[in-house]
Amino acid sequence: MTKVVGTRLKRKEDPKLITGHGSFADDIQLPGMLHAAVLRSPHAHAVIKKINVEEALKVPGVVAIYTGKDLEGKIGPVPTSWYVPDCDLKEAPQYPLAIDRVRYVGDGVALVIAEGRYAVKDAMYLIDVEYETLSPAVGQKESLKDNAPLVHDDIENNLAFHWKAGTVPEEVCEKAEASVKQSFYVQRVAPSPIETRAAIGRYNPGTGELTLWCTSQNPHIHRMVLSEVLDITEAKLRVISPDMGGGFGGKIGVYPDEALVGFAARDLCRPVKWIEERSEHFTAANFGRDEVIDVEIYGQKDGTITALRVTNTHNVGAYLSTMGPGVSTIDFGLMITGIYKIPYASCETFGVYTNTTPTDAYRGAGKPESTYQIERAIDLFAKEIGMDPVEIRRINMAQKEDFPFTNAQGLVYDSGDYEKPLTKALEMVDYQKFREEQKELRKRGKLVGIGFSTYVELCGFGPSKVAGGIGFQGGIWENATVRVHPRGSVTVYCGTSPHGQGHATTFGQIVSEKLGIPMDDIELVFSDTKSVSMGWGTYGSRSVAVGGSSVAIAADRVIDKAKKIAAHELEVSVEEIVFEEGIFSVKGSPSLQRTFKEIAKSANMAWNLPEGIEPSLEASSYFDPENFVYPFGTHIAVVEVDKETGQIELKRYVAVDDVGRVINPLTAEGQVHGGLAQGIGQALWEGIVYSKDGQNLTGTFMDYAMPKARFFPKFETAFTETLSPVNPIGAKGVGETGTTASTPAIMNAVMDALEPYGIKDIEMPLTPEKVWRAISESEGK
Amino acid sequence: MNIEHTYTFKGIPREVIWRTIQDKEVLQRALPGCKSFVEVAEDAFASELGISIGPVKGIFTGDVRQVDKNEPESYRLLVKGKGKPGEIDADANMFLEEIEEGTRLQCSAEVKLTGVLASVGQRVMSGVAKVVLGQFFKEIDKEAKQLV
Amino acid sequence: MGNEKVNVTVKINGNEKRAEVEPRTLLAHFIRDNLGLTGTHIGCDTSQCGACTVLVDGQAVKSCTLLTVQADGSEITTVEGLGQVGNLHPMQQSFWEKHGLQCGYCTPGVMMAAVGLLQQNPNPSDEEIREGLEGVICRCTGYQFIVDAVKHAAQLMRETEAEVQLVGEERL
Repeated sequence: MTKVVGTRLKRKEDPKLITGHGSFADDIQLPGMLHAAVLRSPHAHAVIKKINVEEALKVPGVVAIYTGKDLEGKIGPVPTSWYVPDCDLKEAPQYPLAIDRVRYVGDGVALVIAEGRYAVKDAMYLIDVEYETLSPAVGQKESLKDNAPLVHDDIENNLAFHWKAGTVPEEVCEKAEASVKQSFYVQRVAPSPIETRAAIGRYNPGTGELTLWCTSQNPHIHRMVLSEVLDITEAKLRVISPDMGGGFGGKIGVYPDEALVGFAARDLCRPVKWIEERSEHFTAANFGRDEVIDVEIYGQKDGTITALRVTNTHNVGAYLSTMGPGVSTIDFGLMITGIYKIPYASCETFGVYTNTTPTDAYRGAGKPESTYQIERAIDLFAKEIGMDPVEIRRINMAQKEDFPFTNAQGLVYDSGDYEKPLTKALEMVDYQKFREEQKELRKRGKLVGIGFSTYVELCGFGPSKVAGGIGFQGGIWENATVRVHPRGSVTVYCGTSPHGQGHATTFGQIVSEKLGIPMDDIELVFSDTKSVSMGWGTYGSRSVAVGGSSVAIAADRVIDKAKKIAAHELEVSVEEIVFEEGIFSVKGSPSLQRTFKEIAKSANMAWNLPEGIEPSLEASSYFDPENFVYPFGTHIAVVEVDKETGQIELKRYVAVDDVGRVINPLTAEGQVHGGLAQGIGQALWEGIVYSKDGQNLTGTFMDYAMPKARFFPKFETAFTETLSPVNPIGAKGVGETGTTASTPAIMNAVMDALEPYGIKDIEMPLTPEKVWRAISESEGK
Repeated sequence: MNIEHTYTFKGIPREVIWRTIQDKEVLQRALPGCKSFVEVAEDAFASELGISIGPVKGIFTGDVRQVDKNEPESYRLLVKGKGKPGEIDADANMFLEEIEEGTRLQCSAEVKLTGVLASVGQRVMSGVAKVVLGQFFKEIDKEAKQLV
Repeated sequence: MGNEKVNVTVKINGNEKRAEVEPRTLLAHFIRDNLGLTGTHIGCDTSQCGACTVLVDGQAVKSCTLLTVQADGSEITTVEGLGQVGNLHPMQQSFWEKHGLQCGYCTPGVMMAAVGLLQQNPNPSDEEIREGLEGVICRCTGYQFIVDAVKHAAQLMRETEAEVQLVGEERL
């Protein structure tokens, strides 16, 4: 058999998806199924005076209507899952339906259950809620002020948490020959999977089992949290993530709506389906980012950076989401120095409650923001001292011999060779030639620019003991079971839960190569808490590094056992057995052999097993890595700005990523492309905008600028491969490199294009209007 | 959101405009999409309006009140409406000024929107408001001309 | 409320179907809920995302923009009718080969839109494909492999057509 890992295999999951045979949440139909809708607050902040459901109950087909008061004592608050320590974290209880006060537009007020998806909406619109509106707190900086309205009366200054890490001695700053201070706003964006959220509950009163299909990136975390919220044992609660139309972090969160559906199904003893509408998604599904980042960078005129001070003011929304508190603290604050050997660094993060939809992890979660500030700051510093942006990066970046490299905040980067992707990317873009052309074009009044992002990100979450140390309410190991059936095909049960990444293919490749059996003989099972023993979910680019490693180890264990059986049958010692490409043979006598299928049968029949070997051929692994993984790379953007209109054209985009071992270059490239589109989207088009009343003015795809095909040039991508020493595959993570690297690359390119105007920064997204205004203002000076 | 609108009633004296704009029957006829308009107290009305803003359409029920009357120069118009697409809360200052050509009416409103009206309607709202107000004043113009 | 049900007849993927629907029933809901063809997905409520695109009388149409009654008497093709495993349409084949999908949720709509595009322009450039897919949103792929897939499908379809012509000529 030829090599499987590292080849561009077509995906196993595609045939059903291209022929309309996927099974997404809304495709599930159960006998007697009811529909649910959540009436949501139209106000950012208000007291609920009265709810009148009389007219709504008259709508034909309505079965039940619940308000927050109806559910008091019957269903618990939905907690956050990240109690970051030592930051005076104050959690306000988030009840699945607001009881007496609504705290953001989208806060649930009533749950309507009816026969049919139209009737449920008819009834919902007839519920009459009397509100007394209150002043809302909207922006994070304003909400921290003494006179700001309080989102939760007992939480002073709306301060959800105040976290600090690292110190920068004052004398280091004083001794610096140059420094730059800049404030950045990494704006709120919407993960926007094309499938919105959904939940379907089914309760069996005979067994007491509640089954919940929901759009979750981490069904086992959902089970753990909802078991508490709904007061049901984990053994009686089965959570299944069906096929999912994307997640991007937006489906990590355990949401009130999912708890409500579970509650209603149990209360009514009938299946209940809730499908979120897109406009509802824009008020009730967690957003990402929304961090104001103030940076001070200090250094010498020779380009050496000596210190970095960062303050992050993070808008967490009205409640703490599942992973929200960790994003701007651990994920962001420990990575602020990026790939650079900066001796001193400090980060102070303020988590601020506001009357807006909660924010949570979004593809990269904290690392895109930390990469943004350091990659922008280092460019500004280079400009300050008149140095080339590539040169300053080379002067400060950790060198190959520095690994394992400990950054200023104490994180140990597993492996790295930052020069390799940088050199490759510079070659691909032909940097020197570009600079020459830029000079010529500038003479002719053309504004072209080049921007760099030499990034590193922290991902591949475990190890679990670190999770405990940083207050994450979960383990971050993974498990896999490889079960070999009597006729030789294999089912693999995996803990992580895919939603577009192609785990069935990449994990299948790992198993296929290990066991020497064809891909078609391997089936993978994910995303069902009843079939899979445990799993901590798909986020933080952890699936291959942790879950894939677990699969590889389990497969190795299968081989170990199979070797013993083969040795017994061939009457040699185990040490004499070699296993290659699906054949067990005896060293030196290759004609003495057993195929994998033969051993599968032997093991399962158990007619003649060696002493001490139990029947069946199956092995499990529970893999907890010793460290995180740190993928890295260089991204380069080339842009042209039309000075008359402010329109930005992305001319070229080069991405060279080092994600460790690449299992399937085709799907890995796909991951890079998708991440790029989102990261570039953040820089140029996307952004959630709230009015001062706390209304989301960008609540549909008409107003929220989702990137389209024509917005992009053909991405030029490549990989370098520096293996990670912390897992048996050597893999890092590829899912979040695109969003992490691309946003600052684009920004730096536009600022380079605008250099003739002396423009240093423009707030994202770089809409033509903002760029045009910046040009006009600088011309007016 | 602020909405500013100015309309000039050519050749109509200020007093006539004032009288017209205070006449409840005229108001009912002139308000676009008005389905009912009932006086519930002095200068306070319960109304039902059919509104269509871009993709958002709906029937709004609400209260209309006129306060701070300073005849014939100015008054404040408070409108609170509620419908499927969301809620409207408007506070409008109306100024009537005598000019050479007749009377100039200036409307300066602070409008708060919720729901779909806010997320979808906000962008087109000022444009639509201008159309609606334009229709309204044109009707008032017609009615007032009959009184001159 | 004018909710009296209305009779409609459509030919969907070659099969004639009759049904009674509320006049307000969207074609997308009709296809999914009444006909049980769940390959057509819904991704937004303002007709921007194109996940629900189907062919109505040969034209690519967002099925959330039509009421079922408006489609009465028409011929509809959904992704299920495009091709099946073992007999894939060149568009499906190409999306698979070129990795034109990740989560697969927008994919049926994108493929139907692309089929519509190739009907108008059988040999589009990359740029024309990107422009031609203005009506659909994919959040996963960054579009690059979708463009490759559509281009590949165009080539396959041109080749098939050339073969069919050749065979036809030989018969003459």
